[in-house]
Amino acid sequence: MTAEHQHKLTRRALVAGAAAGSVALAAEPASAQRCPAEPPTRVKGPAVWLDMDQQDIDEAYDNDVYAFNAKSINDRRVYNNQIARDLLEKPQRVAYGPTEIEKLDIYKTRRANAPVLVFIHGGSWRGGRADQFTVYAEPYVKAGAHFVVLDFNNVGETNGDIFPMVEQCRRAVAWVYRNAASFGANPNEIYLISRSSGSHLSSCVLITEWEKQGLPRDLVKGAVLGSGMYDLKPVRLSKRSSFVKFTDAMEQELSAMRHIGRINAPLVVAHGTLETPEFQRQARDFAKALEAAGKPVKLVVARGYNHYEVGETIGHPYAVLGRAAFEMMKLA
Amino acid sequence: MTERPSEQFNRRTLIAGTALGAVALASAPASAQRCPAVPPPRTKGPLVWLDLDQHELDEAYDQSVYAFNQQHITDRRNERNEVALKVIGKPDRVAYGAAEIERVDIYKTSRANAPVMIYLHGGAWRNGRSALNAYLAEPFVKAGAHFINVEFNNVGETNGDIAPMVDQCRRAVAWVHRNAAGFGGDSNALYLSGHSSGGHLAGCVVITEWEKLSLPRDVLKGALLGSGMYDLKPVRLSARSSYVKFTDAVEQALSAQRHIDKLHTPLVLVHGTLETPEFQRQTRDFHAALRAAGKPATLIVAKGHNHFELGESLGNPYGVMGRAAFEMMKLATGA
Repeated sequence: MTAEHQHKLTRRALVAGAAAGSVALAAEPASAQRCPAEPPTRVKGPAVWLDMDQQDIDEAYDNDVYAFNAKSINDRRVYNNQIARDLLEKPQRVAYGPTEIEKLDIYKTRRANAPVLVFIHGGSWRGGRADQFTVYAEPYVKAGAHFVVLDFNNVGETNGDIFPMVEQCRRAVAWVYRNAASFGANPNEIYLISRSSGSHLSSCVLITEWEKQGLPRDLVKGAVLGSGMYDLKPVRLSKRSSFVKFTDAMEQELSAMRHIGRINAPLVVAHGTLETPEFQRQARDFAKALEAAGKPVKLVVARGYNHYEVGETIGHPYAVLGRAAFEMMKLA
Repeated sequence: MTERPSEQFNRRTLIAGTALGAVALASAPASAQRCPAVPPPRTKGPLVWLDLDQHELDEAYDQSVYAFNQQHITDRRNERNEVALKVIGKPDRVAYGAAEIERVDIYKTSRANAPVMIYLHGGAWRNGRSALNAYLAEPFVKAGAHFINVEFNNVGETNGDIAPMVDQCRRAVAWVHRNAAGFGGDSNALYLSGHSSGGHLAGCVVITEWEKLSLPRDVLKGALLGSGMYDLKPVRLSARSSYVKFTDAVEQALSAQRHIDKLHTPLVLVHGTLETPEFQRQTRDFHAALRAAGKPATLIVAKGHNHFELGESLGNPYGVMGRAAFEMMKLATGA
């Protein structure tokens, strides 16, 4: 991505982005973190998506295949999460909707009228709960921003339907806007951060037609989207359709790539060089389409990071996603 | 390992230390990050150290065997260095000794009379340069501490001798103490950190008899040692002796664990659960020996971290080593 459409981002972000190799860095072989690095040879079947056969695409939407250390990273998150939970005050847990799960955890900063970062978790749409992510809250709370973690249903609880999850995330963000003052937040400084399937959901939040609900179109002032999916067609063709009941309507309405005209926030779109071929391509193509449409976007290509390692940097003010969020929100 | 309160550290450190599972956490299988996870079967040879045969001992001192993603972490670090240098600017590079290599890189903070973190890089004694670790400086500088990367010879440049490297690190610390005021540092708030072979060197620095150099015994107010080696005997028995010329004198003088009585600095020792068996044991045993001698020491066992991931965490105030350093130096993060 070139710098021409990035006027809403700060100069430091641009400098950092350039240094981060976001300018036309060739992708590394995505097999770098497979174990064994060279999968056994096999006869390739008919291509089902781009140059991929069924096994290729199934693997391209299975991050564990390309991130040998997935379990170690999860152990690390659990461990660091416990440390953060021991240090931070308990979040305020508030309902944004009527069902039991429709709650959000607010980690409050001490600063008055502070900006808010809303986090939408990942987990292939089928895993993840708000209390697992205190670890990401700490840097923001300490730097003077509220951090809000959304709880919403997993796809196993919605009969395979992603629509209700998107709808929950939209209602939660609208709740934050309407109720910001109640917890010391500035409703005009709401930002989003997410990773993996959470970035798919975030991108759907970003294409919400807020004006139809009497809310400002630019309700969200910026978003950092790590390792997401922005067109569901190839996902539908992959084995993820064994647990997501994709329909034509879902594919069409929940592919943010197809609704770029409705995006009214500057975006940072990031992926790691060690992610699967599809997770690299999804981010690259989305950034390209945004740029072509004249939308402010910065593509960050994080060298040496796999899918889970990119996500881990949400809690790291000096690395990929955390740095981008700090710069976007002008946190010191 | 049991935790006894050590008054040199604040309550948060202790809470964190407990939460960290420092209390009797069983080590995760160190093979967890080998690729393939289960090495091919082979006939075990005679034991050369504890229950390890030569092959196992060699592997236990070869990080690449247990950390398949070493190169990726290096790639990450190189990229972060570039970003960090653009944000915080180039360091002042100042001589602490006569040789060309004897320089310190000072990354200055804007706070007056600020505490100083001195960092000794790792690299199995044979790799590494101060400039490769610029990224570690940024969080410290922003939080109000100076960060100093020490440049010293690699063992390939000293004819296989580690002693001159230790001597360089000691002289660098003495230089910082004497010259702190000149760059806005508080000579009474000097801290040390090191990782891997830098953890070994830092172990040697904290057992320096500073009084013989007319310096206060507690010239270092705290030290954070990550993934280090504190007894050189098993290292000497390993493949590392192909490039380090170990002698009885080197082994004895530069095994910090054998000189615990000379220690006047509170230590925080860290290892990851995914490190090699020996790198886990070295830290565990050093900590046990320090506690037995009544010296202030905290052990942090970092779950889910391999050798290099642990070192990387020094550059994150919310990561294992960064958090420990900030607490040791009483640095505040953010507002």
